[in-house]
Amino acid sequence: MEKFPLKGTSTSTASSHPALSSTLTTYHSVDAKNGNGVDSNTGDARLRSTVTNCTGSLSSDEDMLDVNHHTTASHTAGNNAFLERSVRLDDASSHCGVTFSGLQVSGDSEDIPGIGQYEDFHTIDWQRDIARDRMRHRYIVKKKHDSIWDLIKGAHDAWSGWLCVLLVGLFTGVAAGVIDIGASWMTDLKFGICPQAFWLNKEQCCWSYNETTFDGGNCTQWKSWPEVFKQSKDGAGPYIISYLFYTAWALLFASLSASLVRMFAPYACGSGIPEIKTILSGFIIRGYLGKWTLIIKSVGLILSVSSGLNLGKEGPMVHIACCIGNIFSYLFPKYGRNEAKKREILSAAAAAGVSVAFGAPIGGVLFSLEEVSYYFPLKTLWRSFFCALIAAFVLRSINPFGNEHSVLFYVEYNKPWIFFELVPFVMLGIMGGVIATIFIKANLYWCRYRKTSKLGQYPVTEVLVVTVATAIISYPNPYTRMNTSQLIYLLFSQCGVSNADILCDYNRNFTDVNSAIEIAAAEPGVYKAVWLLVLALILKLIMTIFTFGMKVPCGLFIPSLCLGAIMGRIVGIGMEQLAYNYPHIWMFSEECSTGVDCITPGLYAMVGAAAVLGGVTRMTVSLVVIMFELTGGVRYIVPLMAAAMASKWVGDALGKQGIYDAHIGLNGYPFLDSKDEFQHTTLAADVMQPKRNEALHVLTQDSMTVDDVDTLLKETEHNGFPVIVSRESQYLVGFVLRRDLNLAIANAKRMMEGISGQSLIIFTNGNNVQTHGPPPLKLKKILDMAPITITDQTPMETVVDMFRKLGLRQTLVTHNGRLLGVITKKDVLRHVKQLDNEDPNSVLFN
Amino acid sequence: MVTMWKYTIFAFGIFLVHLSESKAQSYDDKRCKCICPSISSVINTTQPSTDRLNFISNVSPSTCNCEGVILPRLGDQIKGKEQIFCPRCDCKYENRNTAIIKIVVIIVIWVISLLVIYMLFLICLDPLLNKKIHKGTGTGGYQEHTNEEDDTTVTPGTSHPMGVRGNVLNRVGHQQDKWKRQVREQRRNIYDRHTMLN
Repeated sequence: MEKFPLKGTSTSTASSHPALSSTLTTYHSVDAKNGNGVDSNTGDARLRSTVTNCTGSLSSDEDMLDVNHHTTASHTAGNNAFLERSVRLDDASSHCGVTFSGLQVSGDSEDIPGIGQYEDFHTIDWQRDIARDRMRHRYIVKKKHDSIWDLIKGAHDAWSGWLCVLLVGLFTGVAAGVIDIGASWMTDLKFGICPQAFWLNKEQCCWSYNETTFDGGNCTQWKSWPEVFKQSKDGAGPYIISYLFYTAWALLFASLSASLVRMFAPYACGSGIPEIKTILSGFIIRGYLGKWTLIIKSVGLILSVSSGLNLGKEGPMVHIACCIGNIFSYLFPKYGRNEAKKREILSAAAAAGVSVAFGAPIGGVLFSLEEVSYYFPLKTLWRSFFCALIAAFVLRSINPFGNEHSVLFYVEYNKPWIFFELVPFVMLGIMGGVIATIFIKANLYWCRYRKTSKLGQYPVTEVLVVTVATAIISYPNPYTRMNTSQLIYLLFSQCGVSNADILCDYNRNFTDVNSAIEIAAAEPGVYKAVWLLVLALILKLIMTIFTFGMKVPCGLFIPSLCLGAIMGRIVGIGMEQLAYNYPHIWMFSEECSTGVDCITPGLYAMVGAAAVLGGVTRMTVSLVVIMFELTGGVRYIVPLMAAAMASKWVGDALGKQGIYDAHIGLNGYPFLDSKDEFQHTTLAADVMQPKRNEALHVLTQDSMTVDDVDTLLKETEHNGFPVIVSRESQYLVGFVLRRDLNLAIANAKRMMEGISGQSLIIFTNGNNVQTHGPPPLKLKKILDMAPITITDQTPMETVVDMFRKLGLRQTLVTHNGRLLGVITKKDVLRHVKQLDNEDPNSVLFN
Repeated sequence: MVTMWKYTIFAFGIFLVHLSESKAQSYDDKRCKCICPSISSVINTTQPSTDRLNFISNVSPSTCNCEGVILPRLGDQIKGKEQIFCPRCDCKYENRNTAIIKIVVIIVIWVISLLVIYMLFLICLDPLLNKKIHKGTGTGGYQEHTNEEDDTTVTPGTSHPMGVRGNVLNRVGHQQDKWKRQVREQRRNIYDRHTMLN
């Protein structure tokens, strides 16, 4: 009895009250009719038995499962052991639900407002939220047979998840279309204007331009700024005017973006993916996914992309999609009021974000799965798939670029590659990994410097200075002057007749009847282009290091794609000329000897882009799928895979984290990475709070007054308190959250008569408590009677695993059945940091 | 503020409908674009030239090729050499929607200008106005930073029975205050304490 106090009572109840525990429906009808109206003794014991069942099923303790067996044997005729076990677990989980029915009388009506919500910068308790949802769901299913209206409500509840992701997909597609069109128009505004129809960008302005001579895409409808001011087109004067206009517009856009962000929604700055990752792992940042963040991020994104800074709109698109997901989830209380369920919608929204950013629906789903999501059940996978599909479809119908695709740099390839080329592809992967590591290290150094030094106090000035520097350095080089997406498109595409850039200055012989464009000698133009590209690579690398992390909406995909594409194209041109000059060496295995072009520099650009992006973000599967969807060529999967893998290996060897994880670490977000392994031999007792010589702050189940609790709440800052039987026998009853306690006491003081400082707070059914003074305050409703408990000898490896896999917020540590202490997620994170020789105080939040 | 937005959006909608009706006809939404090397570089092999020829015409997608677009125009000059010239040409059929582009760009301009005006208002006029109000009433205690959608729970203090109009204004003002507090909090997190988004 001393050793297993809880087990003792539960076995006896389970065997002595078979009627109570035989079927679930009995439980429910009892619960629904009179909340706590069962005889106090049995009721209490029954609930306690369910507590044991829950912990039993989770820690899979044999004794505990035995108890379950008692309860289930009466109504299951399990034929084989597996079936029986699964039924048992199932049943155990529904017992948890029953316990939670003690938490809330009915699914929908919460009599204390705000219960179940969380405060800003807190981690959520997945188990509790999922149990709440299960409870709500069961309530709806039960009510379904009552009336037609309830049936409709039930049906609405069932499809609301799909409806929500449908809406999210629709609006994400529209938002992406607006951003794409706005950004492409505003980007060209730096160069000139279309006087007849000011809303068209350069390409659209020259859309119907029907003159047969052709110089670099210029047409008479489009007026560059010197032309607007009646200057000639070429010469030193117009060049200076263009230069000035370019810089001035860039400065205007960047300053608008930075000040809008600062004024209306500071959370709109940055890429947002580290934060989304943290939020999806179960963290609350109020306002991070709000309406204003959505508006300002969209507008600011248009402005900052058009300012010509080295940033992209793809990462922020994920944030925008998640904002839309969050806003629409409030239409459906099932998701809006339950943080764990809301994260399912957010996962789907993240998929839609990538889907519209790259026109890659499957890549988006995989991105959500691989990179951002923490909890990703199959149901969410299907919803993400649907959401990504809808978003891609909407964006495709808007057709923002007039090329029938959702991205500017869509290219279509159908060229074979020869086996030997895998060697340069892997080389590209290695170089990509190196460039990515340089970028991550330098960017992190700069961001840390910004965080700790005086530089951080001048966010808008910083943006302006970087913009001016970027504009002034970029303009002279045509490859940095143009929009980064256009540059990527140029680098990805093949040299054909339609490509007039100096990059395609080959000595082609047009007279040959052979329709394939044959391999040709490079003219001086190509070499000039290569030098300009090398300069552009260095410049872009340096500027991106300073840009990423500034206080404007800025993403990272496009700059890293661009770095890789430049690198790849240079290598590709080198290979091509090698093949042209020495077509007969063994490595080309006779395939280049016929004069057709066996080497495609554009393909190298693509592989290089994948390599750098893979090195920066450490994506693999999703990256390859995104790249493959960008090119529509299945045959390039192997080169892309080789490059992505090589880049990931090199990146992992040189620096252990990807940029997003590094930024999570820099900001100290409470993110428990499921990729890392915990390899230390510490025990739960070493980590738990309180440490030696400190007191554990607990509540007793029926002997504390309101004043006692108030002082406890004032004196401590813990976010929850364990409830024990009494000070003398410290057996655990349950766990109550600080916020719930505060709300419940405030609510009781407002609503109930006669509650004073001397009222007892009672967490039991309380019928046997004899009170003489003021009426007691019954708070059984807010008590979590199924907290996850472990013993003090549990290895931390297991504890960390439990935190990751179950999404716990805290766990209670017991010894011999008595409560010893608490381990919170923050304790775990700090412990991990400490063992990794990092500063544990960098974990900032609760 | 909410009502103001509603009116703006409504007026704006009318404006848009008006715009889209009077759309410029000179910009087609469909084109077939062909790019070819210059005729001399194909016919006359001794003069390699990098000039390109550009043809745009409004034909159906099925005839968007060399025969449908280029031969009617250059038929005489490349007579007999079609077999050489045509494979060198690059024809692409494209379509777009200028109405959407126009509407989107105008919306973007509007939104940016509204935001800028509101920002200027908040920077310049609002401190002055607030000073007056605060002198008069002296209200505005600290309210908890709660869930955005919990409007129902956080308005017990401000619902004075002051008539419908006053109530609406109060509510709007209250919402605005709440929002401003949130932004201030965000700003403190990011720009002053540097705890987030670095």
